[in-house]
Amino acid sequence: MNQTPYFRSRWFEDIPVGEFHVFGSHTFAEKEMIDFGKKYAPQAYHTDPEAALDTHYRGLVASGWHICAIWMKQMVSYMERYATGVRDGRRNGAGVGFQKMQWHQPVRPGHTLTFTYEIIQKLDKTIKNKWGIIRSRNEAYNQNGELVFSFEIDILAELNPAKT
Amino acid sequence: MHYWEDIQAGQSLATKPIHLSQQDILEFAAEFDPQPFHLNLEAGNESIFGGLCASGWQVCALMMKMLADSLNQHEIATVGSPGVEQLRWLKPVYAEDTLNCQIDVISLDGGKKDYGLAYLNIDVFNQNQTKVVTLITPIMIAKRKGSA
Repeated sequence: MNQTPYFRSRWFEDIPVGEFHVFGSHTFAEKEMIDFGKKYAPQAYHTDPEAALDTHYRGLVASGWHICAIWMKQMVSYMERYATGVRDGRRNGAGVGFQKMQWHQPVRPGHTLTFTYEIIQKLDKTIKNKWGIIRSRNEAYNQNGELVFSFEIDILAELNPAKT
Repeated sequence: MHYWEDIQAGQSLATKPIHLSQQDILEFAAEFDPQPFHLNLEAGNESIFGGLCASGWQVCALMMKMLADSLNQHEIATVGSPGVEQLRWLKPVYAEDTLNCQIDVISLDGGKKDYGLAYLNIDVFNQNQTKVVTLITPIMIAKRKGSA
């Protein structure tokens, strides 16, 4: 059982660099890949299993932005599971941006990704004197243990008003 | 069809605007990003965003749609992307906003045998010409057969 307090119930000051979590996994079904592709990434290798065979990828692959959306879904679900009554969505959460995003390997129908994050830095910068910025390194591995996706994201965490 | 050899630094790609309804925001949030400030008007108003706003990932997905449509329309032989160097969510995107992109090729890299890279700077604007997202991403573009 993971005893780490709900990410969002903590103040910026209470979030430790080095914290590491395996926070979810997801198996990509062909249909959801095609649905996402048709709506947001209309390229044959994301939308048409037959036509995809003649492309660079030699088959259907998930859009990189679909992988991002699933990352987010897993992250929210994980945070909800460890929520202890904090659901107002205020003391946390908004993303500032990300960097070093890499789609290392194609994700194909039936592939299962497992997502991890590690808090790597608390930036030396505050926003509106109310928010600090937490930087985490996020990775996803497929069912063969290969790294398929990684990035660093910067999100806001509220400063403890008692300390500012 | 246009291949990597046909692309030039400094070139721009026009995109077609996309309008975002409240329903679009709620549907994407319910599926991928069910946080209160993306699902609920009241929670949105009380949040740092000051209103119900779209998931940042929805804005990314819509940027991808505009980019893909533009590449398809210009018949550019793209084969995907290895990643994103950097992206910043500068301003919230709200219901009934209309987004459009400014896409500029900033540099080229010969990359691999079958494809080269074109580094794009993409700025996403709302209907008030406020920049809401900015990113730098390399895209892979097939080389002309036999040129490698």
